[in-house]
Amino acid sequence: MTRQKLSFEDALKQLEKIAEQIEQGKIGLEESITQYEQGMTLVKHCQDILARAELRIQQLQQKEDGTLEARPMSLKEEEPGG
Amino acid sequence: MRRKPFDPNLIPLPVDVPPKPTGPLTVSQLTGLIKQAIETSIPPTVHVVGEVSNLKRHSSGHLYFTLKDASAELSCVMWRSAAASLKFQPGDGMEVVATGGIEVFERAGRYQLYVRRLEPCGVGALDLAFRQLCEKLQREGLFDPKHKKLLPPFPSRIALVTSPTGAAVADMLRTIQRRYPCVDVLLYPVRVQGDGAAGEIAAAIKALNANNAALGGIDVMIVGRGGGSLEDLWAFNEEVVARAIFTSRIPMVSAVGHEVDVTIADLVADVRAATPTAAAELVVPVLSDLLLEWGEWPRRLTRAMHHRVEFADARLASLLHRAPIRDPFIPVRARGQLVDELGNRVERSTSQRLRFNHRRLTALESVVQRIAPHRHLMHRMVQLRDDALRLERAMARRLTLVRRGLNETRRRLDRISPDKALSRRRDRVTVLAETMNAAAAHRLILDRERLGHHADCLLAMSYKSVLGRGFSITRLKRRRVVVRSVRDVHEGERLATEVADGEMESTVHDVRQMELFE
Repeated sequence: MTRQKLSFEDALKQLEKIAEQIEQGKIGLEESITQYEQGMTLVKHCQDILARAELRIQQLQQKEDGTLEARPMSLKEEEPGG
Repeated sequence: MRRKPFDPNLIPLPVDVPPKPTGPLTVSQLTGLIKQAIETSIPPTVHVVGEVSNLKRHSSGHLYFTLKDASAELSCVMWRSAAASLKFQPGDGMEVVATGGIEVFERAGRYQLYVRRLEPCGVGALDLAFRQLCEKLQREGLFDPKHKKLLPPFPSRIALVTSPTGAAVADMLRTIQRRYPCVDVLLYPVRVQGDGAAGEIAAAIKALNANNAALGGIDVMIVGRGGGSLEDLWAFNEEVVARAIFTSRIPMVSAVGHEVDVTIADLVADVRAATPTAAAELVVPVLSDLLLEWGEWPRRLTRAMHHRVEFADARLASLLHRAPIRDPFIPVRARGQLVDELGNRVERSTSQRLRFNHRRLTALESVVQRIAPHRHLMHRMVQLRDDALRLERAMARRLTLVRRGLNETRRRLDRISPDKALSRRRDRVTVLAETMNAAAAHRLILDRERLGHHADCLLAMSYKSVLGRGFSITRLKRRRVVVRSVRDVHEGERLATEVADGEMESTVHDVRQMELFE
C-alpha cells in the first residue's frame, strides 16, 4: 500500500485496529511498540494531508476522441448569480 | 378515425319508425334521430380544449360547467366518481383539456360532454409524461433502495455536472471551499435547460464514468441546477438522464431546484439533496472537525501504549518474584552434583573392596604355599572355594545395592527433571555402573582362574611327593577311581598302580578284608 493512496477510511480502520491490539494486550510488547510507531506515523500522515488544504478546481472538456481534458480554473472566476 | 360529413339520409331509421314518414315527427322521434346521428359519427372518447366557465359543484359531488372558446360553448358534466380523482381544483377561466364522450341529454334537448378526466392545459402534458416515466422506472426497479450506493465519508475528488455559469455551481464551490478545502473538484459544464440539455447531462455522466481512472478516480458526483419552473427543470425528468444516473458506477447526488422540486433524477440518484448547497454539505465533511478528531488519535494511542507497558511491567515484576526464574539451572546443577558424588562413591567403594579382596587372596595364596599340603590340602581348597564364593556373593550383593541405589537415583532424577543436562549425567552414571560391573566381573574371572590354577598345582604337588617316598596309588583301570577299600574291587578286575616314576597293571586275586580286631 503506498502512503499517498492510503485513504482516510483505511487509515482510520488501521488506527482502530492498532489501538485495539495494544489496549487488549493481544500482541507482544515489541510488536506493540512497532504498532504504536506505525499508528503515530499514520496520524501524522493524515494530518499532513489535511493541513495541506487547498481546493483545486478544474474544468473538463470532452475532446473528439472521447477523452476529457482538464483545465484549471479558480473560484474567483466564477460569476455569482445566474 | 376519419369523420364522415353529416348526412341525415345515411342515418338508418329506427325500427319502430316507418321508413317513409308520412306526417310530422314527434319530438322524441327527432331526438332519437339526433342521438343516433351523434353516436355513430363521433368517437366515444374526445379531448376538448377550452376555458372553464359557469362551474357548479352540486351537493351530490357532480361537477357542471361550460367549456368555451372564442366562438362556441359546450355543456360538460363530470360525475362524482370521476371528479373525486381530480388532482387540482378547477375554476372559472382555467384552460383545461377535458377527456370524455358526447351524449344527448334527451329530456333537456341538449348534447353534453360527459367528462371522465380533466387536466390543466399545458402543464398537463408534462405532468402526464412525468407520471408515466415515473411508473415505468419504478416498475423496472430504478428507484429501489437496494441499488443505492453509499457516499464515501472522505472524498478526495468530486465531479460536478452542472452549468458553469449558474448559481448552483457557485453555491457548491463556496460550500466545499468553506467546509473541506482539500479536495479536487472537476466541473463538467453542461446546459441544464432547453433542448438537448438532457442529452448533455446524460453524456457528461457517462463520460465521467468512462474516464474515471484517467481522471484519478472520482469519489462522488453531484448533478443538478438551481431553482426554476417545471419546464426549466425538465431535463432532470427525462429518461436518458435517469438511466445515465442509474448506470453510473460513481455514487451520484442529485441537487435540482429547491426543496419542493422533486425530479426523476432525484428518485434515481443514490442521494437526493434539496439544493446544490445541501448537496455539497452532504458530500464533504467539515475539515476543522476532522482535524480535531485526528488530534485525538496520538493521545489515544499513547494512552493505550502506556497501559500496555504498565501491564508488561507488572507481569515482569510478578515473574521475578518466582525463585526458579532467577536462575533456572540451579536445580539442574544441584542434581548434577549429587550424581557426580554418587558416582565417585560407587567407584571408590568398589575399587576398595576389590583391592581388599585381592590382598586377602594374595595372603591366602602365600599361606597355602607355606603350609604342608598333605594335611590341609582339601580343607584349604574348600576354604578357598568358599572364600571365592563369598567374595562373589558379596560382590553381587554390593552390586545389587549399588544398582538399586543408582536406579533409585535415576528414578528420582527422572521425577525431578527431564532436562537434557540431567539425562547426560544419568548416562554417565550408567556408563560408570557398567564399567564397574565389567571390571568387577573381569576381576572375579581372573581370581577364579588363579585360584583354580593354584589348587591344581597344590593337588599335583601333594601326592607326587608322597609317591617319591615309596607310596603308590592304585586305581581301577577302567574308571580311574582310586581304590580305598577292598570293597572297591572284585576278583579278576584290572588295576593300575601309580608309583613315583610310572604305572603298572595287575589283576585282583584273593581279596580279603583286614580284620582290625582279630
